[in-house]
Amino acid sequence: MPLLKLFLIFVKIGAILLGGGYVILPILQNEFTEKRKIISQNDLVEYFALAQSLPGIVAANISMFIGYRLHGKSGALTAMLGVIFVPFICIILLASVLNIFLDNRIVQGIMWGVGIAVIALIMLSAGEIWKNSKRNLFFSSIFLLSLIALLIFKLSPVLVIIIFSTLGVIIKLLGRCRK
Amino acid sequence: MIYLLLIYEFFKIGLFSFGGGYATIPFLYNISETYGWYSVKELTHMIAIASITPGPVGINVATYAGLKTAGVLGSIVATIAEILPSFILVIIVSKLLKKYSENFCVKSLLETLKPISCALLISVGIELLKTELFNIKALILLSVLLLLSIKSKKDTIFYMVIAGVCGALIYLFNPL
Repeated sequence: MPLLKLFLIFVKIGAILLGGGYVILPILQNEFTEKRKIISQNDLVEYFALAQSLPGIVAANISMFIGYRLHGKSGALTAMLGVIFVPFICIILLASVLNIFLDNRIVQGIMWGVGIAVIALIMLSAGEIWKNSKRNLFFSSIFLLSLIALLIFKLSPVLVIIIFSTLGVIIKLLGRCRK
Repeated sequence: MIYLLLIYEFFKIGLFSFGGGYATIPFLYNISETYGWYSVKELTHMIAIASITPGPVGINVATYAGLKTAGVLGSIVATIAEILPSFILVIIVSKLLKKYSENFCVKSLLETLKPISCALLISVGIELLKTELFNIKALILLSVLLLLSIKSKKDTIFYMVIAGVCGALIYLFNPL
């Protein structure tokens, strides 16, 4: 597949990617497994799991995995630029007109309401992680300690991740040694 | 030099945020407190806009934050800086694929990141609630949205639309 074609496919994917990055999996399935039959369903799911376990944005990660698979480094770069192309332009355009409309009462109301929805979505996304993990003593203590470090001691997120992931791995290693 | 700071901060976000676009919000909140490039209220606007435009939320919000901080060039710099770490990692991981996924240290690291991301999200949810949004109408709307999710988890857009419509109605008929 030529790079330009790859770019255009990911431009399209970026443009129809509404409602969070997780929607990308069914879209990719449709583009690459069903329509073009170049990436198997199994590989796609594996890329998705990998994309989730790497840092960064899941949708961008999985796009780069597919780009790399099809065209190496330049493929990964092309897929990444393609998937952010339309969203980037949308944000620049919307941001420049938002200030004009922010004086409008209805727009203020909508922004207020969507702001509340954002809080709900943040809570739900925490709930998703909660549901999909083994909630044992290990999970709860790391969770509580991180929360205290963040809310009471106001540590920065990066510091919290470095401190507690190191602590977690050490605890796990000690646990394995004892067995 | 604001662009260097932007690169530094957004590269850090790209490297340290795990678990989807909303995981970047605690970092953006931290930036607003440290540098004051945008206010917390502006941050909620950015997240709202980022969620209703197409594309991954985490990237949209980086684009927007960069734009607010240093114009169009800032938005390009922030977006690229945020993706750069995973770009490098994707290439490395693609090469080592599967070799290390069963490694004990890697597995424990991934398992530890879950409760930490959970705590990061909860803490920023609480911080956002503490701002001026904190009033009885906000609490009622939030409870309704969370109750709606109990029955079945809906699309992001579903919550945005419901909340947007409710917000418009509340502001129209009952100015706060």
